[in-house]
Amino acid sequence: RGHSRWQTKLNRRKPIFRSGTCLFPAVAYYHQSIIQSTLSFTMSTPAPKSGPGDMSMFNVLHGFPEALIRGMRNSFLLDSDYHHLTQCESLEDVKLNLTESDYAESLADLGAITPNELQKKAIEKLVVEFKYLRTQTVEPLSTFLDFITYEYMIENIMLLLKGTLSGRDIDELIAQCHPLGLMKASTMKSIGLFEASAKGYSDLYQTVLVDTPVGKYFAMFLQESSESAGGETKGVLEEVEIEIIKSSLIKYWIEDFYNFVQKLGGETSVIMGEILRVRADTNAINITLNSFGTSLNEPEFRTSDRKRLYPAVGHLYPAGTAMLTDVSDEDELGRVLELFPQYSTIWNIHSAGGGEKSIDDAFYERDVQMLELAFEGQFHFAVFYAYVKLKEQEIRNMVWITECILQAQKDEINKFVPVFSQHAPWRMAKRR
Amino acid sequence: MSTSATCSSEFCNAGWAEVLTHMSPYGYANFGIAFGLGLSVVGAAWGIWLTGSSLVGAAVKAPRIRSKNLISVIFCEATAIYGVIMAIILANKVKKPDEATYYLDEDWDFAGFYYAGYGMFSAGLSVGLTNIASGISVGIAGSSCAIADAQDPSLFVKILIVEIFASALGIFGIIVGIIQSNSCTFPISALG
Repeated sequence: RGHSRWQTKLNRRKPIFRSGTCLFPAVAYYHQSIIQSTLSFTMSTPAPKSGPGDMSMFNVLHGFPEALIRGMRNSFLLDSDYHHLTQCESLEDVKLNLTESDYAESLADLGAITPNELQKKAIEKLVVEFKYLRTQTVEPLSTFLDFITYEYMIENIMLLLKGTLSGRDIDELIAQCHPLGLMKASTMKSIGLFEASAKGYSDLYQTVLVDTPVGKYFAMFLQESSESAGGETKGVLEEVEIEIIKSSLIKYWIEDFYNFVQKLGGETSVIMGEILRVRADTNAINITLNSFGTSLNEPEFRTSDRKRLYPAVGHLYPAGTAMLTDVSDEDELGRVLELFPQYSTIWNIHSAGGGEKSIDDAFYERDVQMLELAFEGQFHFAVFYAYVKLKEQEIRNMVWITECILQAQKDEINKFVPVFSQHAPWRMAKRR
Repeated sequence: MSTSATCSSEFCNAGWAEVLTHMSPYGYANFGIAFGLGLSVVGAAWGIWLTGSSLVGAAVKAPRIRSKNLISVIFCEATAIYGVIMAIILANKVKKPDEATYYLDEDWDFAGFYYAGYGMFSAGLSVGLTNIASGISVGIAGSSCAIADAQDPSLFVKILIVEIFASALGIFGIIVGIIQSNSCTFPISALG
């Protein structure tokens, strides 16, 4: 009668402001501040300078780096290389076999290799390639590549903090840092000078970390822990403190990266968004699993502390993480994961137990499959992330093989996840 | 805003029909030549930058693809050549009248005059617009071809077939353009 049904519905949804115009700005601000204080403090991700472009415009700015990384995709070890490596009897044979692969130059000046040396050289090679890529890129791809390095920066900061707490020498720790996440030497040295208390951390942030790109994640963590700080929670925190800080920083990094990727739009947001969602879910499941048997699993700390570590992105968010908060042992975790088919298969591998595969192996296999699929499409940024992660998997594989050869445990040697393998189980299943 | 918007100056038009038919066929014809050439070159350049950047990047790690994949660049260049051919054909048909008069004679071949103008304009657009599409699609296919060739050499010829179909689009444009402009000639003197 007069208005349509749609209009009456709209009018019914305006509870706060009754009369119009002059109240609107003040009331809207009040409304917004209510929302902000009930949710946790939200992080603002700066918008990218431009989108990646669809297939007709992507190559203008990013064609060269993408073609570079696809050329680098050739450098992964093949099935035949892995076969030769597993047949090696000694580490000299391993080195001989690797001289026919892309690692020839990196290993040329090494005398005899050990697993640690091999890992170091392989990571150095990856870092050289990554730095070359980073210098060839422009916005927004350069910010995307920077986001990939923030994860390693967080790991390095935590390594330095933890190491200085147990009293190790700062230079020795800096030598152990992951090269992709290095900051200025003065910054890293000064991280070791702070004490592990609430005041110590906020001093650390304000003097040192605020200049680093990951400073904002630390700021969010400090804000969150000061909001929930009470007398009782302090005691719990100190026990597992460093791990909690690291999980929180990684959580904020994943959310920040996800927001950035969504703002990029296009194919990148589809593929990379999926990769990050799966990553967030993996983190949530691992946090829950690792908390059994620690004080984080106790009912009073589950909602206040463990729930705060779950990222706010992912297939498990928000319903799954809400259920995960109440989980107290593995059976309940299994029951929660039954509701999510992609994780129930992984969980069944874990609960079937046995020495065959651990849940980490199952997660690695699933990750490798997803990252290989990122290479199936052109004109998006996810290939860069996929390359770094797949190279890491390859380095893990090589270290595993050399460790098995060194310790003469030949029956364990085949428990690695090859990258771009023609015999991967999911590829074989498709062929049948 | 008055509803009676009748124009009262001596330069008034009776409407769009009058404006369009009063534009000189020479103008139409020469714009056709410009569009034909310009849009073809835009398409070719777009295609070359799409495929060239991927070719240069992929050749860093797989240098063997350098020479073979220049075919993609040549296909893009061909679209520009179609534009040049059409422009030269059309430019040769534009002729100036024998005598310079202020007004055209009454028995001037107005039918042929306007036919030539419109015909050449549309021939230029036919060639130009199809070559933009052809250039972009050859560029994207060429970019994927370079990258796939770097990965697996047996893929090169198969993806080249995709590019051949893409450059056929430019050929459609020039064929239709030639048919459209075939019997267009500008009259140079009055009939009879």
